[in-house]
Amino acid sequence: MIIFDQVSKVYPTGNTVLENVSFHIEPGEFVILTGPSGAGKTTIGRLLIRDLTPSGGDIKVGDWTLGKIKSGEISQLRRHVGVVFQDYKIIPDKTVFENISLALEIVDYPEKQIDERVKHLLELVGIPEKGELFPIQLSGGELQRAAIARAIVSEPKVLFADEPTGNLDEATGRDIYQLLRAIHSLGTTVIMSTHNQSFLDPGNRHIHLEKGKIISDTASSSKHHKESKHKK
Amino acid sequence: MNTALKNIRRSPYQALAAVSMTGLTVFVVTIFALVSLASQITLQSFETKPQVIAYLKDNHKTDQVGQLIKDLDSTGLVKSATYVSKQEALEIYKKSVGNDPLLLGSVTDLGIITADVLPASVEITAKSPDNFSTIVSILERSEIVSTTPKGKKEIDFPQDIVAELTAWTRAIRTAGIILIAILCFNSIITIMIIISMKIASRRLEIGTMKLLGAKGGFIIKPYLFESILYGAVGGIIGWLGSYIAILYSTPFLAVRLAGIILLPVQFPLMLALLAALIIFFSLLGLISGLLAAARFIKR
Repeated sequence: MIIFDQVSKVYPTGNTVLENVSFHIEPGEFVILTGPSGAGKTTIGRLLIRDLTPSGGDIKVGDWTLGKIKSGEISQLRRHVGVVFQDYKIIPDKTVFENISLALEIVDYPEKQIDERVKHLLELVGIPEKGELFPIQLSGGELQRAAIARAIVSEPKVLFADEPTGNLDEATGRDIYQLLRAIHSLGTTVIMSTHNQSFLDPGNRHIHLEKGKIISDTASSSKHHKESKHKK
Repeated sequence: MNTALKNIRRSPYQALAAVSMTGLTVFVVTIFALVSLASQITLQSFETKPQVIAYLKDNHKTDQVGQLIKDLDSTGLVKSATYVSKQEALEIYKKSVGNDPLLLGSVTDLGIITADVLPASVEITAKSPDNFSTIVSILERSEIVSTTPKGKKEIDFPQDIVAELTAWTRAIRTAGIILIAILCFNSIITIMIIISMKIASRRLEIGTMKLLGAKGGFIIKPYLFESILYGAVGGIIGWLGSYIAILYSTPFLAVRLAGIILLPVQFPLMLALLAALIIFFSLLGLISGLLAAARFIKR
């Protein structure tokens, strides 16, 4: 479970990017964060993996309360939350295979099984023949798939995908979205940030942010709707 | 290990700088270690020989000699004091000149040298060259020690040689230690700077690894391997250079140090030195790597 409780984030420059943001995400949910640039979507992702610390409020991820987390536990938290970065953060002088296997080496995955696991992931994300290529040799969509493979290879409980379709054409973006849905169907909690409204399927929970505030959250409205129905 | 080797391949000139600096240090360490060992052996060789010889009057009596030796022993400064009779002196003389008829006097107008010509003596080995003055003062007071026509007691002691040798040995050791300390410091700084530069140049990669959940130990491990490799390879190269230099200079040194040091230097000794150097300089590399990593971890 992920809980954001009255979370604010003000950068040292004085720029407020999040203001009293609260939401709960249950395990196994598929949540889409939308909002214009600067709304605070990326900040939420960075707060989730303790790359940033909140200026106010508290965040819980699983058993960790991020305000009280020990520095030695941050690496454990980051293994629990996979992130697909907006700029991919694929290491340029490592092959796709090496980039993905790095995430397994970090979690001390048995060395003999790394090869098999990476090949399986390359199959899953649809680039089985690209393992030995370097990032520069890949297209945007392939790079995004490699980044997703790296994020989920160590089987994190939560996957945060930051604008995974932002740099892609619509068809490729749709493929990536379907890939994330497939990963979600395997039991992973997925949070996907996007400004593309076409992914707002009625089945998805949708949180809309503007200027660091939650404007709408379909989960709270449905909960509110359910609660009012119950009262009646 | 593979990552460390890859890092070295990517920046061969930095690796060369680290290895050559360490190699130079090892070269100097090896040479100074051997010079220090040689000077110590030379000094010991001088110290084990009789250092003070007092020549006795012909009319000395055995009990007088016994008393003199007793007096010397009672000071506690003497390792050994031995009486050498005229006959024994002749044997020593013969042994030192061999069968040279010229030196034996058989072809000179002096006639064949006999025991009567040579004086009896007391040969003393001191525990330390610092004790010479006390020993000599006891001998000077003795009535049985012969006197030159000028009234000076006939006492030989190579105080200057041993004192000089001791001083030189100490000076070489001190200079060596200072030089080695400076070079070791330079090696540490060189490896540290190179590893720091490599860490800095891969900051983005390291940042990504951190975001993926890598712990500090996982991130710095290849850099520590790399710095240990610099130390170990530098150690081997420096040792090899010094061994070649020693072998090259052996013919020159063997003649001058005959009877004191056995040359060429024994290979097992050099192998033991190589093992010690590899261990020491690997540790030095590890320290350098840790210092560089500590700066990165603090950030």
